[in-house]
Amino acid sequence: MKTNDLIDLLATGAGPAPRGVAARRLAPAAALGALASAAGALGVLGPIPMELFVDPGPWLKLAYAGGLAVGAAWLAARLGRPVARIDGPVRLLLLAVALMALLGALALLAAPPGGRLAALLGHSWQRCPFNVLALSLPALAGALWALRGLAPTQPRAAGLAAGLLAGALGALGYALSCTELSPAFIAVWYSLGIGLAGALGCAMGPLILRW
Amino acid sequence: MKPEPPADDFEAVLQPLWARAQSGDEGAYREALRRIADRLRSFLRRRMQSLPDDVEDLVQETLLAIHLQRGTHDPEVPVSRWALAIARHKLIDLWRRRGRREALHDPLDELAEGDHPAVMEELPVRRDLETLLAGLPQAQRQAIVLIKLEGLSVAEASQRSGVSVAALKVQVHRGLKRLAELVRKAP
Repeated sequence: MKTNDLIDLLATGAGPAPRGVAARRLAPAAALGALASAAGALGVLGPIPMELFVDPGPWLKLAYAGGLAVGAAWLAARLGRPVARIDGPVRLLLLAVALMALLGALALLAAPPGGRLAALLGHSWQRCPFNVLALSLPALAGALWALRGLAPTQPRAAGLAAGLLAGALGALGYALSCTELSPAFIAVWYSLGIGLAGALGCAMGPLILRW
Repeated sequence: MKPEPPADDFEAVLQPLWARAQSGDEGAYREALRRIADRLRSFLRRRMQSLPDDVEDLVQETLLAIHLQRGTHDPEVPVSRWALAIARHKLIDLWRRRGRREALHDPLDELAEGDHPAVMEELPVRRDLETLLAGLPQAQRQAIVLIKLEGLSVAEASQRSGVSVAALKVQVHRGLKRLAELVRKAP
């Protein structure tokens, strides 16, 4: 096959370039991942009592996980393109983590000195990161599938973005069945769970994001 | 022989063509792809001195990827940088498949690209379009032959084949994706 013949073949009837390709692939993957995470949390782990929603705790978790999900989805969409411009999404992610760390630190300072460790560890610190990770797995599969159909040229970074997105969606679901209320707990253990999902995505990126 | 203009000139000529191509101008798209192909050829030839027979194959594989992924071009990024990033990705993929890890240490800079004489003439390729098309499912092959090779409009092709316009568009896209996979897996 002559290259010029191939070019003719590609150009003939090509029409305009498709628009919004990253959003069209990532949005359904993220939506299904979030649903799977919420369904897993409510169905397997069980919902928190409704009274808990008068406390800011659950809302803080939802806002933190939601903010990270938006930042990570933006990052993944950017890394799905060759020559990715990632400054904006990275700044948003760092801002979300920094705000959460600040709230956590303030909560620890406000707690009575004897109660600080209890606020930090809660009653479920050993389970929390792994529940977040487990709930993130369907979203991770979806996000990696979505990125595989785009054109990531940095598979580790793109995998990390997919993992962070999945982790944030896992945390979003886990917030529905986690009874911890301390911002310090959220800042440490939710972040760790999301980070674990990010590390898993980072490891899987080079294996899966081949095109 | 005409000297290759410096890199910025290359982008200056390519960018407006590409912008028209992205909004549906077929002639501009053909011209942009020709220019990109010449650039890819010199880019890849410099980096594949141990595999000269594979250069044109990789040019074609990269062009297919560029076409299938044209929706991922960010207008803020120079077209040439975007196209060469895809070429670099395809080159790394080729080395990996050949198990040539040490080759990754080849110079992968793109800065001095314009300083090198362009390789305008095509190099020989080993694969044949007929053979590749024969590897596609019948519906995809038919859609590509009617629309891409015979140059019928989608409406005409739909009349001729009795397949709906929407289905034909999908078959063309799937067929090109499948073609790209076949090209990538060819020895």
